[in-house]
Amino acid sequence: MVRSRIFLACFVTAFFLTSAGTAAAYHTRFVADNCNYAGPTPTPYITRDGSTTVALRARYEGYQWAGGCWNDNDRDESPNDPTSDSATGGEGGDCSGFTFKVWRESLTESDAGFLQWGMLRNIHGPYTASRFKAGAGAPNVTVSKSALTNMDALASDSHIGIIYAKNADGTDQIIEAKGEAYGTNIWTRTYRGDSSYGGVRRTGWSS
Amino acid sequence: MDERWNAPGGRLVATVGLLAGALAGAAAFVVAGSAVAQRGADSTGPFVEATHLPPLLTAEGELVDLSYDTYCIDSESEEAEGSCALTGSVFIRSGTKGQFRELPLLSDGTASRLVAHVPEAIASSRTGFTYYAEINAESGRASVTLPAGGAMAPHQSLPLGRAIEIDLGRHRFGDPSPADERVAEIGWGDGQSEAGLEQGRNLTPIGASAFDVDPSGVIVLLDQAHRRVLRWRNGSGTPTRIPLAIAGTLADMSLAPDDTIYVLESVNRVGRTPLVRRFDSYGGELEPTEIAERTSSQIRQGPSGPVVLQQPSGQWMPIAYAGSPVGPEIQRRRGRSGRPLRGGGEVVVLRRGNEIRVALAGPAGVRRSWRITSETALAEVQLAEPFGQNFVLVVRVLTDDEDEFVALVLDDEGLIQRITLDSADWAETAPLGRFRLVGHSLYQLGSTPTGAFVDRFDLEVR
Repeated sequence: MVRSRIFLACFVTAFFLTSAGTAAAYHTRFVADNCNYAGPTPTPYITRDGSTTVALRARYEGYQWAGGCWNDNDRDESPNDPTSDSATGGEGGDCSGFTFKVWRESLTESDAGFLQWGMLRNIHGPYTASRFKAGAGAPNVTVSKSALTNMDALASDSHIGIIYAKNADGTDQIIEAKGEAYGTNIWTRTYRGDSSYGGVRRTGWSS
Repeated sequence: MDERWNAPGGRLVATVGLLAGALAGAAAFVVAGSAVAQRGADSTGPFVEATHLPPLLTAEGELVDLSYDTYCIDSESEEAEGSCALTGSVFIRSGTKGQFRELPLLSDGTASRLVAHVPEAIASSRTGFTYYAEINAESGRASVTLPAGGAMAPHQSLPLGRAIEIDLGRHRFGDPSPADERVAEIGWGDGQSEAGLEQGRNLTPIGASAFDVDPSGVIVLLDQAHRRVLRWRNGSGTPTRIPLAIAGTLADMSLAPDDTIYVLESVNRVGRTPLVRRFDSYGGELEPTEIAERTSSQIRQGPSGPVVLQQPSGQWMPIAYAGSPVGPEIQRRRGRSGRPLRGGGEVVVLRRGNEIRVALAGPAGVRRSWRITSETALAEVQLAEPFGQNFVLVVRVLTDDEDEFVALVLDDEGLIQRITLDSADWAETAPLGRFRLVGHSLYQLGSTPTGAFVDRFDLEVR
């Protein structure tokens, strides 16, 4: 009887300490269990409509700082992930990783070609929001904000969002990976008027 | 030391127990994590989505096309181009009564844009026209109606009529008007008398996301990062804190005449639309309302309660009636293209390029309208409100490097007063949460790297 109690007490203690500790170290196993490192598929052309479809598959999914892997089940698999750790293995892209994949860009900055990355391919790409804003990389150019259209982007030094539609009041509907508490979705924003944001365009659209 | 520890075999039993517990704990975490991930791998079903910029106000003789950007996912394939084919129709009629006539939506040559040309007899109707679209995947597996209320709540396009024309010319940046008074001010931080900034890696500064002013001049600031509002009574430098059970993310807010605080959340819950939360003036939680559509941008007080501008329909929908919440289905069926005003009638706004069309409308159509053009690019219309016999419009002007707000007081002859306002937008707020018009004063929510503030600008009265 005494031995049973000792065993039970030790078992329970170790169980909670281990599971809690493991959970703290790996907030989620989303990337480990779902994502891959498959190569991209080159495509001969890209359209703005096609990239909109890529973006819509990410809608309602999560946000992961420095991330770039998501599924399409309309839920964030790693809500409230720690915001200061890029290695928590959570679902979603960050703003620039999301843009890189939606714009179907290459890891090689001098390559303006078109590459289809799978949703579950864990890839962020070489660009930060700030570098997108500057038009860095062969596929990207800066554009006057008045000339922006769907699937162009508005970028600041710390964030980038893609134009999805225009509203009658002059605001834009932006599709973006906004932050851990927000995930990825379409929201009405006033980035176009905000002087901390500049216009950016992926070049080479077929239509 | 406990006698039991020294019982025969006690140390061995404890060691085995610790090992077994550790293994079980680790296994439980892995299984749980995998279960979550596997649950997440399921793909959602086919869907169709459409966006449409309605021609809310049309000028005489203008050709009108109804254009819909459509997107469809109908398979597990991640192939982006040509995911599935779509067909559709617009159902349209002159005015607001009678049978709708079906117009086929035709491709404009791009993969996803469908267009219907409005016949001249309908486009030039003195009562305008109403319409909605139904767009279907050819497989029949998905469809969308826009606006969501269909025939019950179609889009309405009104003739602008004899609008007062105002040319703003080229805007001169860098000379904003000083406020008449700074009526509220607070530093950033996590103290009792500070406003919070949302926390997150690479997150732009987001804080004090909305405000409102009651008729007596009391300022209520939504400090969403701290899940509370801060209330400044007239002349008081220190705000009262009222905790609210809110999500803590970007939100708009509105005060009702009975002091109920409405907070329009922006983040979706899993499989659900965002909530409008309601609180009494002490922060007591009242029954929330789920909005009808995926996202929204503004909440304001209408004739029978609060109304919310929702997307993708782009319509104002009532979310409460006489103090009771209204469900999503009724919201959809009561959507309006113009914003219903507390005093009756509606405000209709359309910005197209460097032109803004704005009208006050009633049941018989447009009562008064203005057409404002600018050499400098125009961004969003932040505020459009009747002001006694006049009208106030606040719009952002921009170049690629600069932006400011311009407040215009309009009457039946033209422009009475023009004020330039510093954009003061260091921290992000709800998209259209920066201005309120109360009495003869325009209030602006602004921010700098040190904190947030509300400034009051007194307007000319004629």
